[in-house]
Amino acid sequence: MNFEAPMTDRLFSRRELLLRGGGGFGALALSGMLARDKTFAAAEPMALGQAQFAPKAKNVIFLFMEGGPSHIDLFDPKPLLNKLSGQRMPESFKRPITAMGEAESPLLASPRKWKRHGQSGIWVSDWLPHTAECVDDLAVIRSCWTNGINHSGGVCQMNTCQPLAGRPCLGSWVNYGLGTENENLPAFVVMTDTKSTPVNGPRNWSAGFMPAAYQGIRLSPGTEPFRHLNIPKGVTTATHRRKLELLRRLNEQHQATREHQSELEARIRSYELAYRMQATAPEAVDLTSETDATKRLYGFGNKDTEPFGRCCLLARRMVERGVRFVQIYHGAGSKWDSHSKMEENHSRQCRQSDLPTAGLLKDLKSRGLLEETLVIWGGEFGRTPMSEKGDGRDHNPTGFTMWMAGGGVKGGQVIGTTDELGLRATEDRLHVHDLHATVLHLLGIRNLDLIYRYKGRPETPTINEGVAYTKITSG
Amino acid sequence: MGVVVFAAVIQRFAILWALLGGSVFAAEFSQADRDWWAFQPVRQAAVPADGGGWALNGIDRFIARKLAANGLTVATAADRRTLVRRVCLDLTGLPPTLEQIAKFLGDDSPGAYEKLVDRLLESPRYGEAQASLWLDLVRYADSDGYNADHYRPEAWQYRDYVIRSFNTDKPYDLFVREQLAGDEIDPGNRDALIATMFLRHWIYEYNQRDVETQWHEILADITNVSADALLGMGLQCARCHDHKFDPITQRDYFRMQAFFTPLLPRDSMPVGTVAQREKFLKKHNAWAAATDEVRGQLHAIEQPVLLKHATGEGFNKFITKIKTMIRKRPGQRTAYEQQIATMSERQFGLEPEKLPERIEGGSKAKWEQLRAELAAFDPEEPKPLPQVKFVVSDAGPLAPATRMPKSGALVEPGFLSILDPGLANITPPPAALQSTGRRTALANWITRPDNPLTSRVLVNRLWQRHFGRGLAANASDFGKLGEPPTHPELLDWLAARFVANGWSVKKMHRLMVTSATYRQASVNAQSERTDPTNTWFARAPISRLSAEQVRDGLLAVSGELDLQTGGEGVVAAESNHRSVYRKVMRNNPDDVMHTFDLPDHISHTPQRNVTTTATQSLLLLNSEWTRKRAAALAERLAKRHPGDAVAQVVVAQELAFGQAPLPSQLGDALEFLAACGATDDLAALGEYCHVLMNANAFLYVD
Repeated sequence: MNFEAPMTDRLFSRRELLLRGGGGFGALALSGMLARDKTFAAAEPMALGQAQFAPKAKNVIFLFMEGGPSHIDLFDPKPLLNKLSGQRMPESFKRPITAMGEAESPLLASPRKWKRHGQSGIWVSDWLPHTAECVDDLAVIRSCWTNGINHSGGVCQMNTCQPLAGRPCLGSWVNYGLGTENENLPAFVVMTDTKSTPVNGPRNWSAGFMPAAYQGIRLSPGTEPFRHLNIPKGVTTATHRRKLELLRRLNEQHQATREHQSELEARIRSYELAYRMQATAPEAVDLTSETDATKRLYGFGNKDTEPFGRCCLLARRMVERGVRFVQIYHGAGSKWDSHSKMEENHSRQCRQSDLPTAGLLKDLKSRGLLEETLVIWGGEFGRTPMSEKGDGRDHNPTGFTMWMAGGGVKGGQVIGTTDELGLRATEDRLHVHDLHATVLHLLGIRNLDLIYRYKGRPETPTINEGVAYTKITSG
Repeated sequence: MGVVVFAAVIQRFAILWALLGGSVFAAEFSQADRDWWAFQPVRQAAVPADGGGWALNGIDRFIARKLAANGLTVATAADRRTLVRRVCLDLTGLPPTLEQIAKFLGDDSPGAYEKLVDRLLESPRYGEAQASLWLDLVRYADSDGYNADHYRPEAWQYRDYVIRSFNTDKPYDLFVREQLAGDEIDPGNRDALIATMFLRHWIYEYNQRDVETQWHEILADITNVSADALLGMGLQCARCHDHKFDPITQRDYFRMQAFFTPLLPRDSMPVGTVAQREKFLKKHNAWAAATDEVRGQLHAIEQPVLLKHATGEGFNKFITKIKTMIRKRPGQRTAYEQQIATMSERQFGLEPEKLPERIEGGSKAKWEQLRAELAAFDPEEPKPLPQVKFVVSDAGPLAPATRMPKSGALVEPGFLSILDPGLANITPPPAALQSTGRRTALANWITRPDNPLTSRVLVNRLWQRHFGRGLAANASDFGKLGEPPTHPELLDWLAARFVANGWSVKKMHRLMVTSATYRQASVNAQSERTDPTNTWFARAPISRLSAEQVRDGLLAVSGELDLQTGGEGVVAAESNHRSVYRKVMRNNPDDVMHTFDLPDHISHTPQRNVTTTATQSLLLLNSEWTRKRAAALAERLAKRHPGDAVAQVVVAQELAFGQAPLPSQLGDALEFLAACGATDDLAALGEYCHVLMNANAFLYVD
């Protein structure tokens, strides 16, 4: 490895790239660091702003079902579970440490009606009738596993690859690696279906040890899509313009004697960008141009489906405008968490999310966007075959289901298996590290070659582990 | 025969051992490893003769030599207004007041600048500003992190301890020793016990049922942060495997961790000198021995009832192994069981006051009788010593085992074997402290005057603060992934002086900011062209204000800053106290400060990120908080110079930029005020002030 400082040519070309390329909320951030940290410029074997090899996917929409949906009631039928219902798990199953200590509780049958769907004949339960219609576009991964047994660690890990806080999330890594295609919008936006905050709060879309410019920006449907976007009340447009003009003059005078200081220039640009965003962002979130048919597809007009449907429709609009990574929390604040009353909980959660999810897939597909947009569905973990409080299930990090669609994923396939009770992933096990590596692979990034130097250490998105499941593109 | 061969092997092995300086592991390191600059003793470099006519102190002579070697010439000296703003922000974190500017500009005596520096170093504002350096390194926070992010009501005492230590110029070696082992070194000193909160800032999940894993993560976190902060060595990689670049083995990692393995987080820790602790313990032991039988019987009756009614997360969610540890009487637990049981017990509460109603049936009479028997000994039970919360001690005089992952091999405490391959020499502290003495041994080693890392790391951090970049660029990684120093002789000269000056941080600050190197202007066309990263320090850096400086600076300029010191943290958005006194809630950082790159305080931060984003611009332009500061400044100006727009503009710029406006700027300002409203219109003045608060001349210091 070469630790010599790269010289100024590269530094300047990078800096110029950053200044020219802009990057809205994103890439400008580097300029300050470049000036003072030589190693930083040497850090990345991959050039920022482009994939390392031909990508299948350009954008990502991550539908995060927060709280832990029950794989054994949605995508992974287990006849043995119903057979042994009410009994303790057979001794042949090693006892896990669970959040609520339910290892010895009686097994809980799944009362769902299961059917094979589509040409692929993939099993989906009657809780997700609309997703079932799209099953030939899905790669259903039944063998996911993770480490965090609680929501906080689980959600943190599904976002950052480790249960302990402090690392950049997947969206930040993608933003860092690929940048944005629309400099007037953030590269990475986050939405929640309700006003509730997801577990861990904004830390879930934080850039961790990377510069804050790579963090997710919260997008809210409504009159102020991004925080502080609107000119304050009581300030007229004329006054606002006058202020920006005075500011420009002050900054130019200040810079006149400091012309080599690119940070100062970057700051001036950041005000220009802010001004442009004030003009473009409202259009991006304005849904008046969407047809009724489209809105119906997403579940508008129904109070159950509309909140999540609105986020999904906004996600499509963001992706259309070059936003790289969109994450939507459904059930923000652990609403999928069903320690008791599974039936009531999951009926509601599925009712709210199933139709808009399918609507998004169908809409993306009909517009030709699905090919380059990777859609991911899943929570921080699954649920146990053991019951909790009689009619609920505890957290299960050792085996659960997620699915991916679009972005080069071959639809209509099932990947991996869990054991006969759905407790542990057994075949083709995919840890969160592997899942993230797979997402990055689809985006044209080798997970071990995307490097950010932190405290001198070469950090990678999957913590030097993780193998992309490349067969996901071929089945 | 076999025995003879075996003996011969042993003998050879022993010779080899001796040759290798007591360790078989030493053989793993190459000559290049041993020659790595950071492991060499700090050299007493002779001050070069360069820099004649310019140099003001030794720093400048080392700098001048490198400048000459690189064909660079120094920048001109910064003008006095620039200098006073720079040094005020650097030392106190605040822009200069009008009075500070006037006093300095009005003093044309030869030592005027040095006097200014001394005034700033003596100001209580100094410690408030410098504390952030340390609080970043130790990831100080007032909350647990994780989802619940529970408030830590005692943690602020540590923040005040750090501020106080800077303000009183506590010698750095003592500062380190107190934080690592205050409970063993100076157990009667409350301040020294508060210092051990250094070992409590880990993130913590209150309902984590996998208690053992969480405990091991905590120990790893403490090991990592201690090495990062105190030694500038990233050990983290070596937790799972030998370090791929540096001569740090996985065994070294666990040798270092072994100093912390005995830790016990304490929420009630006695404050008492060794004599006081001895006296207390003697009485207590007598009482305990006399009542042991009774208390044992009481435990058998009470504990099942207490656990059955445990509040909070309850008792039943734990696995059997942990339940067994919890059920044991504290005296019968091993040190490790004591740690795990104590960590588990944090998850639930017991209600002994409800025992009378909860103990029923046949055992009730027995219980009452035992209670009465125990009460008879009450007069012999010593009064507890004063307590301090949220600190640490060891779990007892016997350390739990530290084991290598996978092999499970036992590891005894030792330092980085490249520097000291033997086992640490540990002197058990007085028995009354019930402690292993391991952390004292570590503290002693780290603060040895000849430790090649400690002093270099600290002076390099101070240099980074004043000059924008460390002499070694990676302030917390002096290994091969960091960069070697650009000025190794200067770094050593500073490190040696630091130790020789009694580890005085203030003296080091003074030395640096009174150098000619520091006093340069930020403009130097030749240096900017040929040395854009300013590797050779031929000009002052231009830096954006830090998160604290942005917030405190706006409050200071607007006249709203509340200089109340110390005490429990305040909510930054609702208070005008200095930023260092805010409640550091990990999951809910202050909006303004977070936007300006406040670190997350979850892990160690050796250097803040500096970003330039549209988010920052939008916040400064449109947020309610900034606009309130602008309005307050307008009111301040209107009150000071009623009806005098020229004076208002002049003072506004002096406050915000430290500079009086150029004639053209004055013209622009008056035109702006006229266009926005009447010249005495407070709203128009507010808009003008708001523009200044967005300007680069405010946001940057050069």
